[in-house]
Amino acid sequence: MRLAVPKESHPRERRVAATPDSVRKLVALGFDVAVEAGCGAGACLPDAAYSAAGARLEADPVRLYADADLLLKVRPLHDRPDLGRHEGDLLRTGATVVSFVWPAGAHALLDRLAQRGITLFSMDQIPRITRAQKMDALSSMANIAGYRAVIEAAHQFGSFFTGQITAAGKIAPAKVLVIGAGVAGLAALGAAKGMGAVVRAFDTRAAVRDQVKSMGAEFLEVTVTEDGEGGGGYAREMSPAFIAAEMALFRAQAREVDIVITTALIPGRPAPKLWLADMVEAMKPGSVVVDLAAEAGGNCELTVPDEAVVRHGVTIVGFTDLTSRLATTASQLYAQNLVHLLTDFGGAQAMDADARDFRLNGDDDVVRGGLVLRRGELVWPPAARPAPSPESAPASTSPAATGAGSFPAASPAAPALTSKLGVPTIQVVDEVPASARLARDTSSARQSPLTWAMVGLTVVAWLALHYAAGHTGEDPSKATALFLERFTVFVLACFVGWQVVWNVTPALHTPLMSVTNAISGIILLGGILHTNGPPGAAPVVLGVVAVWLATINVAGGFLVTRRMLRMFRK
Amino acid sequence: MSEAFLSLAWVVAGVLFISSLRGLSHPETARRGNGYGMVGMLIAVAAAMTAGEVGNFGMLVAAIGAGSAIGAQLARSVAMTAMPELVAILHSFVGLAAVLVGFASYLAQDAHEGSHALLLGEIALDVLVGSITFTGSVIAFGKLRGSLSGRPLLLPGRHALNALAALLCLGLAVVLVRATEPVGMAGDLPGGFGALLAMTLIAGALGAHLVLAIGGADMPVVVSMLNSYSGWTASAAGFMLGNDLLIITGALVGSSGAILSHIMCRAMNRSLASVIFGGFGAAPPKSASGTPQPPPGDVVETTVEELAAELRAGTEVVIVPGYGMAVARAQHAVRQLVDALKERGVRTRFAIHPVAGRLPGHMNVLLAEAAVPYDLVLEMDEINHDFPTTDVVLVIGANDIVNPAAQTDTASPIYGMPVLEVWKARRTVVVKRSRGAGYAGIDNPLFYHGNTRMLFADAKDGMEKLVAAVQAPAA
Repeated sequence: MRLAVPKESHPRERRVAATPDSVRKLVALGFDVAVEAGCGAGACLPDAAYSAAGARLEADPVRLYADADLLLKVRPLHDRPDLGRHEGDLLRTGATVVSFVWPAGAHALLDRLAQRGITLFSMDQIPRITRAQKMDALSSMANIAGYRAVIEAAHQFGSFFTGQITAAGKIAPAKVLVIGAGVAGLAALGAAKGMGAVVRAFDTRAAVRDQVKSMGAEFLEVTVTEDGEGGGGYAREMSPAFIAAEMALFRAQAREVDIVITTALIPGRPAPKLWLADMVEAMKPGSVVVDLAAEAGGNCELTVPDEAVVRHGVTIVGFTDLTSRLATTASQLYAQNLVHLLTDFGGAQAMDADARDFRLNGDDDVVRGGLVLRRGELVWPPAARPAPSPESAPASTSPAATGAGSFPAASPAAPALTSKLGVPTIQVVDEVPASARLARDTSSARQSPLTWAMVGLTVVAWLALHYAAGHTGEDPSKATALFLERFTVFVLACFVGWQVVWNVTPALHTPLMSVTNAISGIILLGGILHTNGPPGAAPVVLGVVAVWLATINVAGGFLVTRRMLRMFRK
Repeated sequence: MSEAFLSLAWVVAGVLFISSLRGLSHPETARRGNGYGMVGMLIAVAAAMTAGEVGNFGMLVAAIGAGSAIGAQLARSVAMTAMPELVAILHSFVGLAAVLVGFASYLAQDAHEGSHALLLGEIALDVLVGSITFTGSVIAFGKLRGSLSGRPLLLPGRHALNALAALLCLGLAVVLVRATEPVGMAGDLPGGFGALLAMTLIAGALGAHLVLAIGGADMPVVVSMLNSYSGWTASAAGFMLGNDLLIITGALVGSSGAILSHIMCRAMNRSLASVIFGGFGAAPPKSASGTPQPPPGDVVETTVEELAAELRAGTEVVIVPGYGMAVARAQHAVRQLVDALKERGVRTRFAIHPVAGRLPGHMNVLLAEAAVPYDLVLEMDEINHDFPTTDVVLVIGANDIVNPAAQTDTASPIYGMPVLEVWKARRTVVVKRSRGAGYAGIDNPLFYHGNTRMLFADAKDGMEKLVAAVQAPAA
């Protein structure tokens, strides 16, 4: 299978989809790799290194595209200014493309590729499940963007990050506020902390508090409690009351902090405006705002995409090419994400010829999430995704419903995350949706056996009562009522026990067993209740012996549990 | 004491027992949970003692005193490695007590408002479950102690035998329920005594047979199953005596044991039924692959010194303890090894398979005894993906839980059981007493793996030498 890596031709793009290192791995996976001459120049990766790694250098881009079975790219396909043609038109019919796509707003592109029967896989749509972390290019890129945001801030900032006391006077440490603690936000926290700044972070999702703290940062909170977890590592939009409280917090912070880094994105929507003009005005002159959401409209009201502007004495950085500013590392990580993905697809052989439906039939989550076009047929968005999917945005109805290849017009109100650039912003490496799903699964698995057991037991009890009523000649209603009373207590207690015990950590299984053992010594009550009678009578003797045995159990069980538990320590 | 007051005491005790189980779910709250249990039990006993139906105080107090003393002594003196045996024998006490209470109820046949037939039916149920619990626990105790062979006893047609015994018990229970002659007509035993006695014996035989047929490797499940049974026994006694506290408490314990069994079974990829009805441990002697396969290569031995050098050179070490560590009581030596490695900047953690040892959570208790901090002790799912980046994995006296055949060999009896993927580490060292196969009697391809080295030694002895070698100044 012929794999091609072209040069990225977008003006501010310096990354590339393969490095000499990844080429070596791709060759090992069985691909016949061709790269465009000069493709790695922006990332300081010379052509010679590519050929040494086993790639064929192709000087003629037109031939490179025409020969490719599989094209690896960073950015979505676009017009090549040097050739005057769209990349999609250069490909042969039925080729496969893997790149960032941002399909929610790329209707024109998808239309064009669908007509040519292209299979398109979108790196930005890979579900954020544990298994897919190694191919999660969004996280790789967000990590870099977060780091670079701090570097840009430091570049614009007129002082040290670390506080210093020198012979010439005292310098206070820089105070950095990061809004949105996803991957990019956490990376920014780490970088700023490493440079000695005082760091704090704000996020609407309570779950990230510990992650923020683990980076050595302070987690700012508002008094209104509301969890902004929206699934897929994104936050959702919050209530007006919460936003008011949030704004008050930001206004207070604006007077204090020197550097603000905003990373808040909501999938399929314009970036929320969080840092308003009056907050910029309240900041000390010389302060810096770095807006990682510039591409989706910006979190700061005064952001100008792709520029660093000074407003009210505050520098506002709206660069959208932060990852490209670390082109070598960004290329290396992205290329490695691609290698992992292709490995997951089964390498060249499995992807070849007829097998090239990417195991879509095999119900693979990664493929189902990332595949946008299959031989020109639109298969995106997949049914039922855990993340709040872009189709929840107003006016963007599900393209799948309208059939392959035709799209409703993109609403101007929802430019979404699409656009020209592969810079993703905040994301938290997934955990929440996957674990939430797991919890749901196990809780249903927990319930059903118990429910069935209880239903079965009830049936048996009913049959036994029915039998007894028919054969013993007693008044059955009284016995039935009595029995059912106890039976009710029994069934309820089973449910309580079932619920209580499920959460026991495995380390405590032995103590749990010995304590339940002690508790089951409650049978001694049965013995006690039989001790009324002449001392020699059989029931009394049996009862006393039972009490004796059960007490051994009670004392032994509780005391040995206590002994064990004393040993557990952190 | 008034009836109402008594009921109130039952409610309080019941709530305390529930809180007790709840507390046991986390190490930080576990001690408080145990305290709740004790208080609940005190309240229950005190309330029962003051109830109107109690007589013969002297005998009662003597019995409680003697029982407590014996129990306390057992709790003090038992070695942590012998915990499974203790738990098993304690289960048998519950079973036996339930049988005795059942007979006492039968002989008294009073104080039971309502239906005579219902009482007899409940007695039958109580004695049946109690008897199975009793003999089953005694057999489990013998197996765990080693007085009985760990090999499963597989009688021909054992399922039919079990079914027959169960049917007989049911039939005898029906006979008992229908024996409605007035109590003690001839001044001696009430009617149906023969049936009750026969049922007790048959149920006892059934309990013994069920546990005899279970292989040693399944012991963790058996112990938790018996735990569950002892709960159901108490519950049955509650029905019999019309006592809600017994019903509630028994149901709590019963479902707790059932959940534990379920968790254990899932960890071994086995169905609960296959464990309950036994016959796994001696799995079809390689019937799938015909003759025992010749080992795919030779094992490579290592020495204590070589291992010590490798450990010192590493940065990530994972220790996988198994029953062998418990038998050799090596946990303290292992702890010293962890300390020695920590001093040298090597991070050492523990990987615990859910069914390691002979009791759920067995390894955790032993490591806790040796004062290993519990945050170093990880579960299988937490650590399995870390093995590829681990420098040295030290497998101490474990076998089946690290057997790669569970993932690769469809003919293996443990195929499909989740295992610790220790073979993915850069170096795996197996400390083992001899070249024998594991408890399940299955050959382990791990031993022939290219990265694996074997250290044939007693776990404790080997660990102590290893600690000395690690601490010795590098040559």
